Amino acid sequence: MTTFGAEESFRVERAAPDVQLWKVRSLALRLVLPLALPTGILALWWAASVNGWVSPQVLPQPDWVLQTFLDLLESGDIAAAAAVSFRRIAEGFLIGASLGFLFGLLIGKSETADAYLGPTFRALAAVPSIGWLPILILLLGIEESLKIVILAKACFVPMAISTAEGARTVPKGLTEVADILKLRARTRFFKLTLPSMVPFIASGIRLSLSQAFVSLIVVEMLAGTDGLGYMMVWGRTLFQLDIVIIGMVVVGVVGFLLDWLLKQAESFVRRGSGADA
Amino acid sequence: MKRLLSNLLLAAAVVLGAHSSYAEDAPATIRFGDVGFGFGTPFGVGLQAIADAKGFIADEFRGTPTKLEFTYFTGTGPAINEALSNGQLDFASYGAVPNIIGKANGLDTVILASYGGTTIFGAARPDLNIKSIADLKGRKVAIQKATIIHWGLITALKNAGLSEKDVTIVDLKNADQLAAIAAKSVDAVFGADFLLPLEDKGVAKIFYKSSEAGASGDGFGAFLVTDKFRKAFPEATQKVVNGFVKAAQWLADDKNRDEAFRIWSRAGSPVEIIARSNSGSTLGQKYNPRLDDFFVARYRSGIAFDREQKLIRRDVDLDQWVDRTYVDNAVKSLNLQSLWPDRSAAGVLQN
Repeated sequence: MTTFGAEESFRVERAAPDVQLWKVRSLALRLVLPLALPTGILALWWAASVNGWVSPQVLPQPDWVLQTFLDLLESGDIAAAAAVSFRRIAEGFLIGASLGFLFGLLIGKSETADAYLGPTFRALAAVPSIGWLPILILLLGIEESLKIVILAKACFVPMAISTAEGARTVPKGLTEVADILKLRARTRFFKLTLPSMVPFIASGIRLSLSQAFVSLIVVEMLAGTDGLGYMMVWGRTLFQLDIVIIGMVVVGVVGFLLDWLLKQAESFVRRGSGADA
Repeated sequence: MKRLLSNLLLAAAVVLGAHSSYAEDAPATIRFGDVGFGFGTPFGVGLQAIADAKGFIADEFRGTPTKLEFTYFTGTGPAINEALSNGQLDFASYGAVPNIIGKANGLDTVILASYGGTTIFGAARPDLNIKSIADLKGRKVAIQKATIIHWGLITALKNAGLSEKDVTIVDLKNADQLAAIAAKSVDAVFGADFLLPLEDKGVAKIFYKSSEAGASGDGFGAFLVTDKFRKAFPEATQKVVNGFVKAAQWLADDKNRDEAFRIWSRAGSPVEIIARSNSGSTLGQKYNPRLDDFFVARYRSGIAFDREQKLIRRDVDLDQWVDRTYVDNAVKSLNLQSLWPDRSAAGVLQN
């Protein structure tokens, strides 16, 4: 049963000799280590632009970029672009992840369904969302539906794979107990299958969202007229690389925060579901 | 150790100094950039492509160690701005809107010659009744923004008594424009001759051709040099411009028309499409390299456009940017004044 708790119990054992010191050290390391690389990159960037190693048009000075960021923030351009992008993610995710969940359940629970649908699904899943773009543009045009379909597809695949995995790996012992107790299908699903799938669903959600985020930026760059991805393309067109850099930083930070939040939610859910017990 | 270092520095200074005092005559390589189209090896569709294919510039450097490198950028204007900024190009030929953007953002370019005109087409869905620019009112039009095509659409709208607010503009790249009109996501598209095959396929019908809209309807652009190169190699710069003007002179000769179309077809458009795109235009006038009042007026309209559309944050001083001496020298030494007399701002010939 401790498939997912290995990490945590391991840490507790190691921390046993001197819990206090270890905690302080690990906290410092957790805060300092991840910041070392960004700080180094920032320093290198600063040095490169101040000393003119790269032309200012290609790599504007960090303080110019900051100034442009404040301008864009004040004018509401960033907020407007981000709002458009997040609405797309939300819609694509709701559609894609819920369909993915149902489909994953189907191929995970029924071997017949898996035999019929599985190979086709895996083949289609291998084509990246962006590979669908030329055909989808012809079918759907360049409207909002195009972006939603691409995002839904991006969410569908990881969600379906995780759910199917979860549905297949309901612990054997519990299944046997359920068989002996002659549980009704309904009770069995809600009391046994679903709880044991929670960790899989949680990681499915996290994977889908990160996939959606990547696809969103690409689809907005290729066939968009608004959103964060388009803002970056437009910055390049105007030869204002500061806008591009801002776009990259915003996307990076938002993506990181999203992932972090989901990770927290995931471990919370896991604790709650008792998957670690 | 210190002594050694200072000696080394001294030696380096002497060598470099001596080198720069007679650096003229022999740039090792001259690098040219142009807008490119097509798969595999992209190629250009303007004057510079002719100068490259027919070796007009290369002929000027025959017998010297100087090598020429031509690069055709499928990333169009923005990619050329980036290459200039990185010091990867000495000369470049591209549309006015992106090169004004580059200049306004601090590229040290100098305009040496006009690259002539580009014909801009408007194509509309055949099931809609769009027969002229005025019919675009309330319609959805796809263009690639921040290009000379964008300028072309806005100017055409203004000439027809409409403004930008009367249409919905959708910013799409060329390939996506074709898909969007085929899927009926947009009502019309504006672009170069890549739109012409749409008519044959029945996907759209051409309702606008810039060359039929008077002298100032066509798109425009320039042949530029980096100020650094011009200062270091004024003689080589003159030779390059001579070759460029010779290419324009060759194009002006009607017997070369078919060969020119064949050269441009290397960029992917079939010869008949190029012929159709150029029907009714004299190539000599379309590819006039001079920097006369007509050219200046067009660039002023380009700068005003970039300002109005907020494509640039700073103004561009056109008088500082244009250097007429090279192209005027070339026209004079080749005796071509009668082929390309001065044009007024409105495009009327002046004697």
